[in-house]
Amino acid sequence: MDDRLEKALEFSNYRMTIENQKKNLKIRMETQQTFMYQKGTWRADQKLLSFIETLLANDLTVAVLQDSRDNPIEIDDLHEFQELAFGKYNESMNEFLMESNKLAKARNIKKVMDW
Amino acid sequence: MSYNGCCFFAYNNSEIDYVKLAMLAALYVKKHMKNNNTCLITTQGDYTWLKESQDSKLLDIAFDEVVITNDKQADNIRVHYDSPWTTFNSHFQNSNKHLVNVYSPFDKTLLLDIDYIVRNNNLDYLFEQDHINVGMYDSACDLRGDLPHLYEQYLNPVGIPMWWSTVVYFDRSETSDMFFDIWAHCQQEYSFYKFLYNMPGNMYRTDFCVSIASHIMNGMADGNIIHKLIDGPMQYMDQKDDIVEVTSATDWTFLANDRDEPWKDILARNYRQNLHVMNKRAIDRNYNELLGVVK
Repeated sequence: MDDRLEKALEFSNYRMTIENQKKNLKIRMETQQTFMYQKGTWRADQKLLSFIETLLANDLTVAVLQDSRDNPIEIDDLHEFQELAFGKYNESMNEFLMESNKLAKARNIKKVMDW
Repeated sequence: MSYNGCCFFAYNNSEIDYVKLAMLAALYVKKHMKNNNTCLITTQGDYTWLKESQDSKLLDIAFDEVVITNDKQADNIRVHYDSPWTTFNSHFQNSNKHLVNVYSPFDKTLLLDIDYIVRNNNLDYLFEQDHINVGMYDSACDLRGDLPHLYEQYLNPVGIPMWWSTVVYFDRSETSDMFFDIWAHCQQEYSFYKFLYNMPGNMYRTDFCVSIASHIMNGMADGNIIHKLIDGPMQYMDQKDDIVEVTSATDWTFLANDRDEPWKDILARNYRQNLHVMNKRAIDRNYNELLGVVK
């Protein structure tokens, strides 16, 4: 095979592996962001965090929110809920960033696999 | 205080040493979960073999309880893959899985398949909730993050959604009893339900029974009587994938096969995610490494 073609195919395999790893990191991040609170299932993403912040900014400490399974849940301590959600968000995003940075620095498949 | 833990069904056949794999899966539960009492459900013969073939100290660590059963099992032949190029048939015994609520010694039970490897504590939350009666995965993805075949998302292309019986959480409640009663009924009348729900294949699949039970309990509709595990989608290693390296108890590297072009594989590294390792021969080939990092 032509050397240039071989290099191109090798690069394509490397990109495919990287993209797959990114997809797996995203799945891991989403799993880590999901938690249960007051019988509801929640995902501590930017949307939820912003909405809690809006409620608190309007001096509400109790509110009804729709969880990720579309159930209405009365949250009776928004401060506690915010703290928990922030914790989940930060934990997941820090790991996501750290692992993504590692991937970004890996210039070949061996580096991606830490070989 | 309630007594909670995980149960494993394991019945050996001529191809797969299920009790050996159950011991490995139980050790991963011990390492990663808080609610880590474990129970092996097996036959006297398989348990005797396990005691003869495995390190007795490890066996004592792995299982807190052993339940010996003597149920008559229906013959259920299953084609297994080990890479895209090797297949083998085995007589798979799963027709008494719905009896787990009878056999489990626990108040709150997590039933795990012996090829479901726990590598984090994400499922511990189930034992802390009093409102969850039955919980399972309703979605899955492979090592490439892709959805499974359409027949493993729905019971048929226009059918009801598929739930996975790989991991079943249940408590002692009327709702969970009802769920197992329907599962038992589906098992007994499988050919009728196979016709009614237009399920593929000839093999008895517990995934189909729990999907039907969920559908019936929700009033023949989509609903939330069965809790969807928040750890989902359930990630799985396909039977056509292989394990390449075991770096630690939570960091494994795989060859992930391309379903559309089976001569192609890519390397996939998987960290800290719970994983349904469907290629049992791959577990067996890497058994010492998988055991070494969890001891």
